[in-house]
Amino acid sequence: MAAQRTARARLQGAGFDRFLPYLLLAPAVLLVLAVVVYPLVYGVQTSTKFYRFGTAISDVGFAQYRQAWNDPLFRGALWTTLKFVTAAVAIETTLGLGLALLCVRELPFIRTLRMVLIVPMVITPVVVGIVFRLIYASDVGLFTSLSGLVGGGSIGILDNERGAFWGLVFLDVWEWTPLIFLILLAGLQSLPQEPFEAARVDGAGTWRTFVDHTLPMLTPVLVVAIVLRSIDAFTTFDQVYVLTHGGPGTATQLISIYGYDTFFRFQQYGYAAAMLLMVALIVLACAFLGIRLIRRQAATA
Amino acid sequence: MTPEMPTEDSAPRGDGALSRRDLLLRTAAGGAGLAAAPLLGTTPAFARASGGAAADAGKLVVGAFTDGAITVWKKIIPLFKQQTGISIQLLTEPYDSWFAKAFQDGQSKAGQFDIYIMDDPWVPQYAAAGILEDLGQHGIVGDAGFAKPFLELGYWPPRSGPRIKGFESKKPALVALPTIGDLQTMTYRNDVYKTAPKTWHELVTVGEAAMKAGTIQDAIVFRGVKGNPIVTSWYPIFLSYGGKFFDNNWKVTFNSAQGKAAAEFFVGKLKSLAPKGVAEYDSDQEGAAILGGKAGAIIQYTGNAIKSDDPKLSKEVGKLDFAVVPKQAKAIAQIGIFIHGVSTSAPNKDNAITFMKWFATDKAQTALASFGDVPVRIKPLKNPALIKKHRLLPTVLAQINAGAEARPRTPDWGAVESILGTELNKALVAGKGGGDALDRAATQATAYLKRQGYYS
Repeated sequence: MAAQRTARARLQGAGFDRFLPYLLLAPAVLLVLAVVVYPLVYGVQTSTKFYRFGTAISDVGFAQYRQAWNDPLFRGALWTTLKFVTAAVAIETTLGLGLALLCVRELPFIRTLRMVLIVPMVITPVVVGIVFRLIYASDVGLFTSLSGLVGGGSIGILDNERGAFWGLVFLDVWEWTPLIFLILLAGLQSLPQEPFEAARVDGAGTWRTFVDHTLPMLTPVLVVAIVLRSIDAFTTFDQVYVLTHGGPGTATQLISIYGYDTFFRFQQYGYAAAMLLMVALIVLACAFLGIRLIRRQAATA
Repeated sequence: MTPEMPTEDSAPRGDGALSRRDLLLRTAAGGAGLAAAPLLGTTPAFARASGGAAADAGKLVVGAFTDGAITVWKKIIPLFKQQTGISIQLLTEPYDSWFAKAFQDGQSKAGQFDIYIMDDPWVPQYAAAGILEDLGQHGIVGDAGFAKPFLELGYWPPRSGPRIKGFESKKPALVALPTIGDLQTMTYRNDVYKTAPKTWHELVTVGEAAMKAGTIQDAIVFRGVKGNPIVTSWYPIFLSYGGKFFDNNWKVTFNSAQGKAAAEFFVGKLKSLAPKGVAEYDSDQEGAAILGGKAGAIIQYTGNAIKSDDPKLSKEVGKLDFAVVPKQAKAIAQIGIFIHGVSTSAPNKDNAITFMKWFATDKAQTALASFGDVPVRIKPLKNPALIKKHRLLPTVLAQINAGAEARPRTPDWGAVESILGTELNKALVAGKGGGDALDRAATQATAYLKRQGYYS
């Protein structure tokens, strides 16, 4: 025992206590380096090389970033993605908030309703894509069948650019509104009741209470939900791949589809890496803005 | 010395069932073969191939993309096992993911597969990346028994036509062998078209009249989805009009006068005679339209054509006939065969080579055709007994003779096809502007090829 105490004292003397926190942190740091930093560094490295037949044949520096920025298809895909994210997240947030406000009240069958509402979110995205392709199909789809019942002709959703884009937005809304709903429902349930009771006593109406109390207190949760959903929507792939593969034309060509084709089908690894890193930077910037918004809200609350 | 194969008269029974007599005969033959092998100086693999009901001789991992023709192809697996003792493990994936997975397997030398079954335009990409074994080094030759247009697709660099930079002076090597013969032919309703429409004009005129008379809902159906599907449907029209994709220096030429005429005809007249939502039609929808009795004619691959006589799959049994594609200047269809090569990182390379040799025989191809796939060798294509069972075979042969062209032999065809297919799809949605679409596609394709070093 005495010897152990002496050894420990010697170690402490040698600065063991000083290094202990670093030693304890080391496994986590190594893990982060391996699974986050290394792939990022490798991605950046790949983006500076020109590949032919799947092999890097020359270093091109950041030329492929410039090429991407001047590529009308990349810019088009980026614009389509931004439009898609904005439209889908805006609708999902509105609907999710409405549903959360409805379901936060204790009404008959509310538990069952809450369970039913989250079903779309747990279905595999590819399956959702296939189901919607069948619904939208102009030959055997749901709308065409319904139209047939009243003597109408075939209804094409995916055979025109506007229809396909909004069809995709609707699919996303159907699938992901439940996520926003769940987050906001949890947020609403955690709000303190006193301000609402005070408002009721003061005779404030439902709308006034919502604008003056619910919305301000819910804003941090709302921002989290919007940021999370926007990041997720930015990387939507499976459903588009199955539903339209980016068509007709480039109407639903999201950046993920263009990146996939460039990387896997055309084997332009360096160029695809450059494009997708640029997209990652945009998503990071959006996330950063979102976090700043949350912090500002928290500071003013 | 070739492995014992069934003829069309002795095709194997379902599920590889054997009669007691067969079993005894094959066991005896197998025993004799094994005993004689050292005396004949055969290689161990070939010795295995020479006997019936051979002992377990290891395995072979084959990868392929999911397709109806591959479902049929699977039926030869028990036959191969029976004759060589080698088990085949077939792994399938959807088309796009198999393309990427097989390429990654070869490039990373993971060795998960011995044989890749590919679509023929993949061969330039795989071969240029050096992931396919030179079959010539294993004693495999492309003999004259193969349908020549099919066989040519197994060589890299190509034996004829332009070559890409870096491969101009390389000696062509046989890196893949045709697996299943596939090319476009026309399927038409014999109650709408009394005889097969010989020209595009005839197809359109008679079809339009039938639509007006209410005999048929749509005169024609095709694939309109962007990318590969729409280009596949436009391809025979483009070639028949006399279009060429590239000149000998890879200069883009598909926006020639012939190409533009073909594109205008396709997005204008042909669209007006096709189902309303044809811009979103892929192979499943066009197949359903012809088999379901809605369309009067279709240019399609054999996988759907062979369903015409199956009452479980077709509403129009007896009403669908086959012919070569209609003519403009010529009558040329697209070839799109299944083709297989051995991975350079194959863990069971000897077994893979044994399979390649076995499968390249007329007898193996006869067996394949008896199960329902289209063979890649001429003799089975002309076999009267097979033709009796498989009435599409003479049309396949007639189309090969009339004209059938594969897609351009460059690893960059996928990218060019994507550009072209996107612009054509836009014009199809608009119902006009086919010529302008080709001009836009040509500009983009030229820029893309320039970046890949084609013109420097």
